[in-house]
Amino acid sequence: MTEPETLLGDIRVLDLADQKGVYCAKLLADLGADTIKIEPPGGDPMRRIGPFFHDEPEAEKSLYWFQFNTSKRSITLNLQSADGCEILKRLAKTADVIVETFPPGHLDEIGLGYSVLQELSPRLVLTSITPFGQTGPHRDFKSSDLIAQAMGGLMYLAGFPDDPPYKIYGSQAYHSASVQAAVGTLVALYARELTGRGQHVDVSLQESVLMAQETAVPTYDMRKVVRRRVAAEAPLIPGSGLYPCRDGHIFAGVVAGAGAGWDVIIEWLDCEGMAGDLKDPKWRETFQLMGDIRALVALARDPLALAARLADFAHINEILGTFMKSHTKGEIYRGAVAKRVMMVPVQSPKDILESPQLEALGYFVNVKHDELGMNLKYPGAPCYYISDAPWRISRRAPLIGEHNLEIYEGELGFSKVKLAALKQAGVV
Amino acid sequence: MAEKFLPFEGLRVCDFSWYAASPVATKCLADFGAQVIKIESSTRPDLIRVAAPHPVGKEDDLNAGGWFNNQNSSKLCLGLNLGHPRAREVYDRLILVSDIVWENFSPRVKERLGLEYEHYVKLKPDIIWVDQPMQGLTGPDKYAAGFGALITPLGGLSYLSGFAHRPPVGTGTNYTDYVINCGQLLVAVLAALRQLKLTGKGRHIVMSQYASAVSALETAILDYTVNKRIPAREGNRTAMAAPHGCYRCKGEDRNYTYTARLGMAEGRKDDRWCVIAVFNDDEWQAFCDVIGKPSWTKDPKFSTLLNRKENEDELDRMVEQWTIEHSPEEVMMLMQQAGVAAGVVQDAEDILLRDPHIKARGYYVYLDHSVVGRSAYDGIAYKLSETPGQLSRAAPRIGEHTEYVCKEILGMSESEINEYLTESVLEVG
Repeated sequence: MTEPETLLGDIRVLDLADQKGVYCAKLLADLGADTIKIEPPGGDPMRRIGPFFHDEPEAEKSLYWFQFNTSKRSITLNLQSADGCEILKRLAKTADVIVETFPPGHLDEIGLGYSVLQELSPRLVLTSITPFGQTGPHRDFKSSDLIAQAMGGLMYLAGFPDDPPYKIYGSQAYHSASVQAAVGTLVALYARELTGRGQHVDVSLQESVLMAQETAVPTYDMRKVVRRRVAAEAPLIPGSGLYPCRDGHIFAGVVAGAGAGWDVIIEWLDCEGMAGDLKDPKWRETFQLMGDIRALVALARDPLALAARLADFAHINEILGTFMKSHTKGEIYRGAVAKRVMMVPVQSPKDILESPQLEALGYFVNVKHDELGMNLKYPGAPCYYISDAPWRISRRAPLIGEHNLEIYEGELGFSKVKLAALKQAGVV
Repeated sequence: MAEKFLPFEGLRVCDFSWYAASPVATKCLADFGAQVIKIESSTRPDLIRVAAPHPVGKEDDLNAGGWFNNQNSSKLCLGLNLGHPRAREVYDRLILVSDIVWENFSPRVKERLGLEYEHYVKLKPDIIWVDQPMQGLTGPDKYAAGFGALITPLGGLSYLSGFAHRPPVGTGTNYTDYVINCGQLLVAVLAALRQLKLTGKGRHIVMSQYASAVSALETAILDYTVNKRIPAREGNRTAMAAPHGCYRCKGEDRNYTYTARLGMAEGRKDDRWCVIAVFNDDEWQAFCDVIGKPSWTKDPKFSTLLNRKENEDELDRMVEQWTIEHSPEEVMMLMQQAGVAAGVVQDAEDILLRDPHIKARGYYVYLDHSVVGRSAYDGIAYKLSETPGQLSRAAPRIGEHTEYVCKEILGMSESEINEYLTESVLEVG
């Protein structure tokens, strides 16, 4: 067997997914899988999602489409027609994976249910991403990213106690479900190499984010305490939370028990003449406590002991806060990196693009868009290094039906006449 | 389920990883049958064992941590003190009989322990070696200290999440640890594992958690590189729908305990919310029908999506006038019956005990743990029809499987084990 240049070079994926699963197929495509995006004639509805290239709302200029369909090929195919379904069956025989996001039962209705597909190709893995999964009392509920983040418990944990809960930026339930689905698909592909048989992978948006509730469920299970959002404008315990600085915010996580301790931080402040009275031995015991993760966890359990410390904490926070305010994000972060202090800037996309670390990793990549006459700079692969088989964007997202000829004529052997007939019938 | 085939049976993982992003990933390998051997000691425990929650009365017991346990089902634990100069004698042997080596230390610790792919690949050419540092193994910031909580602000999600009038406090949890960074790394590892099976070739895989988190920003990077635009924090809103938000609902007439700024608090369970998402005019009509078509719904300023977007503050206030009279479950059921997307902003009690759907699908798994007793674990978020995997055992105590690993896997003699135990290289727990 010849060595593929990519990890999934021998795998073919048919991408029938909408927003819920488009990232799943991208993960596989950027790893080298031959991924064919099936669009309805006229173009995928995702092409209507902004933002757009230079704010020009056209089907071939959706940055959403660009972002999530890299390394894929595209054919148009109408799955609402009998001919369309027959063509899909032919393609399914050549595929290893189908990723789809139709409502549960829809594939059965159009004669492409898992049992049909399995009969066509026993080695096929069918990955279905739906709001609530293929089974259960809510399986037919309507959903969206917002609904899934709420029903999956993520929202309840985010934000300030006196504000409504909020969802995480973007469509993180879709994003999470796509990642979970890609993992499940690869477990199924591995199993297939042992058993010779594919299987159906059922992914629910709601279940996909449950793990990200972190300690909420164990906390309720073990203590009958409901974890609720507790964000605040200013930190309570010094070094744990958000501090305004000259041009934004710094997030400090000094309490974690790793990285440099308070001696290093006080020295840093003192070097700039900003340590106030914190070098006074009277603070030694307080800093000792603040550097001991076990003592801090115990303190958090004891409201009285914590209350007794609040005035001291406020004093330290004031000095630390003044220091932050007199610096920029960049200044604090450079110092923190050099001293191994656990403080980072709250970075905007612009800051991220200017990150010397990401630059050094070669994270951002230029992707050629001939139609636009330029290269666009994209976020790159989740793993910056895989030996001999890089995870990378191999091509820009496809144009509508860009590979119709390549696949219908070249691979399926359709004549020009047949292809024209199918086009007139609205099939391709 | 027990008789189902576990695809990773026979694979061995030498797991040095700690905290969250890597252990959640190796949990997948363990739940699908791999023998995942976690390496730690009570001198240098996985520090997530220290963090809350613990069962009442077991707050100081490293073996009772709920955060740790949830992420470490189905694994074994070798009690090996990595701070001891002789520890390497033991892990060298384990690495050579493993298929995968996994670590997420800071590069400083990794270098000190000599956990270098380049060294071990000479001894075991088909090894799959996984590094998951915060920043990378190269680059100017590779030695920066960090953990999951710093990745959310560094990676951009904090800046973009929440309400514009508030500072960017972030996502509530160390979100990227639990699905994004563990999952994306698993995608690479599983693809490499399949190739190992087919071709016998090993791999070296490195993830920068920072870089991986940036890939969750969807179009924010392209929007900046192409249009020089930075999206505003828009809370729960979206250009494509209105109403699209989180609305206060009727509270419950009972007390409960919840986490607050100063530890814990007790109060009436009135922090109840629903979400509603209305994407098109049909759904808007259905929504109006459900709430009884009050006169404000006929006001032209709410008649189209664009009008509703323009008057969204007022729209949200009017919607909330209705939701506040109903429980979130009522809102969800009434809206769903009418074909409108709506849901409960569920808390952990809802999710573990009350959501009939999660229960019917059996997501949470209860396992018996020798210190904790019976407790709930996150199950598997992808249901495979033929090889669904299983949480085969509760999380290990520190050193719970030291003897098994040393005798059965490393073939050590009784006297050899005793020597290591006496010198506190090994630990039995």
